[in-house]
Amino acid sequence: MWLPSYATPGERAGRIAVLVFVVAVLAFLVAPLFVVVPLSFSNDPFFTFPVPKYSMRWYEDFFAGNRWTDGVLNSFLTASLTTVLATVLGTMASLGITRPDFPWRKPVMALLISPMIVPIVIVAVGGYLFFGRLGLTNTRLGLVLAHTALAVPFVVITVTATLSTYDANLTRAAQSLGATPLVVFFRVTLPSILPGVASGAVFAFATSFDEVVVALFLTGAEQRTLPVQMFSGIRDQINPTIMAAASMLLVFSTALFLAVGWLSNRSRAAK
Amino acid sequence: MDTTLEKIKILIAVREAARPARRAAFSLALPLLVFLIVTFVAPIVLLLFTAVNNPEPQAVIPQTLAALERWDGKAMPEEAVFAALAKELAQAQQDRTAALLGKRFNYEVPGMRSRVVSAARMALANPTGPYRERFLALDAEWGSPALWAVVKRNAGTLTPYYLLNAIDLQQEPDGSLQRVEADQRVFMTILGRTLFVAFTVTFLTLVLGYPVAYMLTIAPSGVARIMMLCVLLPLWTSLLVRTTAWVVLLQTDGVINDALLALGFTDHRLQLIFSRFGTVAAMTHIQLPFTILPIYSVMKSIPPTQLRAARSLGAGPLSSFWKIYAPQTVPGVMAGGLITFILSLGYYITPALVGGPGDQMVSNFISIYINRDLNWGLASALGVILLTVTIAIYLVFLRLVGAEKLRMG
Amino acid sequence: MNLVHQTPINTTPPDLVRFEGVRKSYDGIHFVVDDLNLSVRKGEFLTMLGPSGSGKTTTLMMLGGFERPTLGHILLDGRPVERLPPEKRNIGFVFQNYALFPHMTVAENIAFPLQCRKITGAAAETKVKAALERVQLGAFGNRKPVQLSGGQQQRVALARALVFEPSLVLMDEPLGALDKQLREHMQVEIKHLQQSLGITMVYVTHDQSEALTMSDRIAVFHDGRIQQLDGPRRLYDCPSNRFVAGFIGESNLVDGLIDGFEGGEAIVRAPDGAVLRAPAVEGAKAGMKVTVLIRPERMAVHNADGPERQNIVRGLIREIFFLGDHLRLSIAALGLDELLVRIPAAQGEGLVANAEVELAFAISDARILTA
Repeated sequence: MWLPSYATPGERAGRIAVLVFVVAVLAFLVAPLFVVVPLSFSNDPFFTFPVPKYSMRWYEDFFAGNRWTDGVLNSFLTASLTTVLATVLGTMASLGITRPDFPWRKPVMALLISPMIVPIVIVAVGGYLFFGRLGLTNTRLGLVLAHTALAVPFVVITVTATLSTYDANLTRAAQSLGATPLVVFFRVTLPSILPGVASGAVFAFATSFDEVVVALFLTGAEQRTLPVQMFSGIRDQINPTIMAAASMLLVFSTALFLAVGWLSNRSRAAK
Repeated sequence: MDTTLEKIKILIAVREAARPARRAAFSLALPLLVFLIVTFVAPIVLLLFTAVNNPEPQAVIPQTLAALERWDGKAMPEEAVFAALAKELAQAQQDRTAALLGKRFNYEVPGMRSRVVSAARMALANPTGPYRERFLALDAEWGSPALWAVVKRNAGTLTPYYLLNAIDLQQEPDGSLQRVEADQRVFMTILGRTLFVAFTVTFLTLVLGYPVAYMLTIAPSGVARIMMLCVLLPLWTSLLVRTTAWVVLLQTDGVINDALLALGFTDHRLQLIFSRFGTVAAMTHIQLPFTILPIYSVMKSIPPTQLRAARSLGAGPLSSFWKIYAPQTVPGVMAGGLITFILSLGYYITPALVGGPGDQMVSNFISIYINRDLNWGLASALGVILLTVTIAIYLVFLRLVGAEKLRMG
Repeated sequence: MNLVHQTPINTTPPDLVRFEGVRKSYDGIHFVVDDLNLSVRKGEFLTMLGPSGSGKTTTLMMLGGFERPTLGHILLDGRPVERLPPEKRNIGFVFQNYALFPHMTVAENIAFPLQCRKITGAAAETKVKAALERVQLGAFGNRKPVQLSGGQQQRVALARALVFEPSLVLMDEPLGALDKQLREHMQVEIKHLQQSLGITMVYVTHDQSEALTMSDRIAVFHDGRIQQLDGPRRLYDCPSNRFVAGFIGESNLVDGLIDGFEGGEAIVRAPDGAVLRAPAVEGAKAGMKVTVLIRPERMAVHNADGPERQNIVRGLIREIFFLGDHLRLSIAALGLDELLVRIPAAQGEGLVANAEVELAFAISDARILTA
């Protein structure tokens, strides 16, 4: 099994042991994700296995009132605005930072990546103090600005990675053929790096859509997002409607994941 | 050949010639840099400032503090000080700022809140002297030089109090630094716990992740793709979904307890949720992909012919792995381990939902001091400590690995 | 050292491009291009030849507008262009890897420069079609670049760089990625295109045979400086220094000391004591250490009959290599361990290794290099 033909018997036994270990770790990675799905279809309000009787009642509950659907709407709105802002700013910055003439590349890159590194609570508390002074707490704008800062590293990382395989001669060729910088970008560079930009956008969307802590600190009931709704639900009284929400999120994030996989395949095929 | 003057001229010309391209490149990144400075750096700077900010005393009792400047710090302050205090507390009582001031002093002198509030009430009700006697009659502590030393110390608009408190230190009335009472030394414990949990999680993800990364590089492409799916899917799944899953799994009547009972490992249901075990298990699950991916990308770049070469040169399977292969994977282990360690330091959601009272991290306490105690200074000071530790390790990461090595998926 | 042949002012054809005292440095200490004074005449095919890192590509990039000279001026049609961005220079540029836009079809690629100049519709279509015909790709307009072979992609890049009728076309090792046969074919094709369209071409290559085949003039670059600028023939026969002699064609470079002069000929003593005669050159003085260049194909074994007066030296055959139409002999002579001699295969009868042999070459075939 994936061993060279010269492997010794001891090596074979060792390899099988490692294989069993790896399968167990992979099960540990994936299995917990799916535990919410059967529970969300359970008739029973307690989380028992095996599920006694299947029903759709928690999904009905989810869609019945405004509580959850407003959260979904708020999350989509916030994440979409964040995606647009983060993708535009992040792509521009990536175009600059990958040029050979870019000054102070290392410190600038370290700064652009740092929102990913700084503990989220510090971002949240800082935002709470700072945006409060600007009157931006409890506004969608405030949340979008904070989420954009958090999402930008993902766009920068993905787009700079794509640009590192971009042939700078394409830009030179377009220039020599008479294209102005804007024409070069929209007609030559952007089409070539589009898969990378699109994956960056999906990352940005997922970052905002999934974010709880900053949203907890910066928003009021008006902008309450789905993750905030779930967080309060789990903390106060965990109930099966949360399982329904979690299951739907699971499906949604799997879809995003597949989208990015498809995009990266496309960008690889284009090479 | 070129004189010094000419050399300088050439250097200037070099810069001149490079400037338009540098400007053009930088101007593309400028909007994002400005954006981040406003929405990300400025809030953090404000947080740093809040950790040392001390606005209340100067805002409420400026004249008292001015009068205290001449005080020698040994005897009881003069009547003039008490008179100024009475006048300003009466005003504060009207402005409803007396309680704020009391709360501020209460951090440093127990009982100060009620002492200030009742003194303010008294000062407003009957604004006549002699003030010193009346203050002392109200509470004999007003005669204590130690109390006044604390008041005087707070004449400035900046204070080291919160930062010191966040590392379990306090300033004595004479200005020297002391550790706080043993039963109050909570924050170093919390920081130690945060570091310990982060370290445990890092260690576990390395132990679990390293073989997975290795198998990913040698498995046939079809199998490897499925394995990769197993690694990436959790990464994409909402953090809350994963945490929800762990809450359900770890419950006393949850799946894990069911399984342990059924397999006969235990005869009673264990307390798994709200425990250190649950916190570490859930965090390890969440961080595992972050550790695996950098190791995998390094392993992928090691040519498989090297192991074959080692074998042909006479090394056994184990020694060729440990002597040839493993050393080359160190950069990946560094990158994966450091990233997981850095991210683990900042965990908030998982300890809040899966951990017990003894598993709360620095982040959780920051949130508690903001939301429950409204003690922004202390929350910010804890933030400064957490940020300092994080940035220190981030700098190590930048030095050893580099920001440009980060890859998603 | 002024080896650059200055073009006198007011001669025809006029200069299209002039580099005046151009220097390029990235760090202020090392110069990638130094002391560059070069004129490109209208309608000529000028090649910049040199090993990698010699400054030829940087020179081309500066002309194309992708790099800015640190010092000096570049004049295009008499106008300084150092600060003109590439898109305003109206210069065609063909890149080594072709740089075809992968998401556009061949026709779209060729139409791109026309669109940039607001030429659209029927006018553009006609031009694109003509450009495709010109490079014999009439039927390939709807293909994507990845669907073409290397040679076809090369032609598309050429058509794209020519379609907007630039007065000057720059080429950066455009044939480097092609195999030998295709490369030789394309050399001829490019040369014909250049001649029939009457355009000026500046061509960069490190391949000396390519340069010799295609060029009207060749500028040999080394260490950021032009070593010699001349026509192919003169460059081969009269290299101005050791570097050019070594870089162009095969060469034997013999160290020597000038003993004296006699009737326009210098008498040079080789390290092994052998005495050579060579035409005297400017700057050569008695007692001077010089290098004597002797091309391998100009030497004959045994005493060849000829009207010219000859140098005759003795040597020891070390090895003989058979290359079909000719033999290469490695001979220890004139203080060199491996003096290279190339002779027609038919003249090699009876030669064996370790045999002493007499080499003969015309006095005019020995060239003294003072640098």
